[in-house]
Amino acid sequence: MAESKPTPQSTFTGPLVVDPITRIEGHLRIMVEVENGKIKDAWSSSQLFRGLEIILKGRDPRDAQHFTQRACGVCTYVHGLASTRCVDDAVKVNIPGNARMMRNLVMASQYLHDHLVHFYHLHALDWVDVTNALKADPQKAAKLAESIAPARPGNSAQALKAVQDRLKGFVESGQLGIFTNAYFLGGHKAYYLPPEVDLIATAHYLEALHMQVKAASAMAILGGKNPHTQFTVVGGCSNYQAMEKEPLANYMALTKEVCQFVNDVYIPDLLAVAGFYKDWGGIGGTTNYMAFGEFATDESSPEKHMETSFFPSGVIMNRDLAKIDKVELGAIYEDVKYSWYKSGGDGLHPYDGVTDPKYTKLDDKDHYSWMKAPRYKGKAMEVGPLARCFIAYAKGHPEYKKIVDTVLQKLEVPVTALHSTLGRTAARGIETAIIASKMDTWIKEFADSSAKDNTLCAKWEMPDEAKGVGLADAPRGALSHWIRIKGKKIDNFQLVVPSTWNLGPRGAAGDKSPVEEALIGTPIADPKRPVEILRTVHAFDPCIACGVHVIEPETNEVLKFRVV
Amino acid sequence: MTEAPKKILILGVGNILYTDEGVGVRAVERLLETYDFSDNVTLLDGGNLGMRLMQPLMESDYCIILDAVLGGDQPGTIYRLTGDDLRKSLAFKDSMHQSDLVDTLIYCELIGKRPEAVVIGMEPRDIQSMSIELSPEIADRVTPMLEIALKELRDVGGVATLKA
Repeated sequence: MAESKPTPQSTFTGPLVVDPITRIEGHLRIMVEVENGKIKDAWSSSQLFRGLEIILKGRDPRDAQHFTQRACGVCTYVHGLASTRCVDDAVKVNIPGNARMMRNLVMASQYLHDHLVHFYHLHALDWVDVTNALKADPQKAAKLAESIAPARPGNSAQALKAVQDRLKGFVESGQLGIFTNAYFLGGHKAYYLPPEVDLIATAHYLEALHMQVKAASAMAILGGKNPHTQFTVVGGCSNYQAMEKEPLANYMALTKEVCQFVNDVYIPDLLAVAGFYKDWGGIGGTTNYMAFGEFATDESSPEKHMETSFFPSGVIMNRDLAKIDKVELGAIYEDVKYSWYKSGGDGLHPYDGVTDPKYTKLDDKDHYSWMKAPRYKGKAMEVGPLARCFIAYAKGHPEYKKIVDTVLQKLEVPVTALHSTLGRTAARGIETAIIASKMDTWIKEFADSSAKDNTLCAKWEMPDEAKGVGLADAPRGALSHWIRIKGKKIDNFQLVVPSTWNLGPRGAAGDKSPVEEALIGTPIADPKRPVEILRTVHAFDPCIACGVHVIEPETNEVLKFRVV
Repeated sequence: MTEAPKKILILGVGNILYTDEGVGVRAVERLLETYDFSDNVTLLDGGNLGMRLMQPLMESDYCIILDAVLGGDQPGTIYRLTGDDLRKSLAFKDSMHQSDLVDTLIYCELIGKRPEAVVIGMEPRDIQSMSIELSPEIADRVTPMLEIALKELRDVGGVATLKA
């Protein structure tokens, strides 16, 4: 394993703005103050207003999921699920076992898809210099590939040469497209990988493109309508067809292929790349962690969900792994002091949340984000893979314990090195591997159960007045939807999403959000191309939950039809 | 005429929560309500999904994409973008439109299965306000937008018949 390098650092002092952060969903702007080459202060600013709450008011509670899952192009299912679960809770229905398992399987597929795409297509370019791969010796790379991923034959010198040629064609045709504006273009000293590792990672980047298509297809088999899943209903699920033998067999076959890729390629790549970037085990840490739990065996209430989840729920304060607290849902609230909302709305629990926008201006450090600032008992909490990993590891979760210890051993770093950007990225891989190892069992459990009895939905009645919370630990972290029902209609609906926890602005007390804290102390090698900011921000897998999608042609040579 | 007919995908994309951003999705919904299509034609509400549209895209030979397009003309202007226009806009990165359809098409190309694509797009009036209704002037233009899309469809060998 390579030794840790000293992190390159400039002597730059001054402000830096990265706007927009590329390769994420939505529009995030990061502003930092750099002093002598290190980040001294940071502000995370979401530039998109998400007023879903306003659209939902007065609608049938059952319809909430159709709107919330449109908020985002990535997290469709998790919003659909949380919206369904909050109504499940409000009407007090206990969903049948088949429905619980089916929802869990689709969630597992979502994890497999999201994490693969995140590692290879959104995050890898922060660490891997694709153009450097052109300089690699394919013979040498093939040999190295054999030692990195022995379970995956196929990275022959010839195949790797073909990847180089394809890449060259892309670069020469000026169609760098997805690599446009990448910070590595022209060389960058914060990129440490030898060309051969860059080449292997690039080859796997392409292979992962195929693999994520399979993961998405698997998800669509159970999720019903492709690509927007519409199989969850209040009280259970509606996709009876997915319980039949053939779709289940297809789901299993596709999933198996994806899981194998995770084990044979993703995890070895993660370890290989991480081995060169061990200095990042000391950069990008936060302090407090929270998880709501996912893959529960009992969904009769939000409390049971948290108690019986395979990915456990819990709270860690001040990095104290010896003390895991239970999550108290009443202790969650949101501040708006530093956000673009009318003042006076600080400290409100989501049931009583208010969405009353008031924009000031772009460069206003006192009001700088469309996100609210969620807090738990006065603290900013990191949610997502790293939070789940620490909570599970500290609770002695056997699957986590085994793989976390293996990873630490291979990288030769202590567990404290996981409080970092490197740890966050590793934790995402770790939980993907754990899910991959469970899929076979989970699918069989579902097949056995649904073969015996095909009940998929329980009966319930809409109360006149009620409230409920839908919890999920989505790939990006702890997600909650909060509903108040009055006259059988939505009276209030609030979403507290993982990216708001991780990437929101300061709280009313002036305390930083997790990403703002994580950026402090980060060395910047080249202030014109601050890839270090991207590394930490991308490690949180930001999703600003409202991708806008229009096409904006660069040329004026667009052929126009003018129809009267 | 012995060739197998082209597999055609009519894909409406956009976010229906942002007023005219959803014009492509609304257009596809209208097509589904109004017409029956020949077997070689698939219609899809792609919402604002990016990479998860790769499978349907790669399964098609020809893709007619309906979307909002910012071309700088009057709201309601209908544009037709083909290969080169789309390729040139590939370099476009400096705004909030990140993991979008254009990227998805590049990803398809990277793994060697990019369908031929044409975009029939409309200049929106409002893509900021949260509303699930199109602006009235944009809603009025959906019919002409569909006429162009249907002509496009006929040209590549798809058949649409008005529902009885």
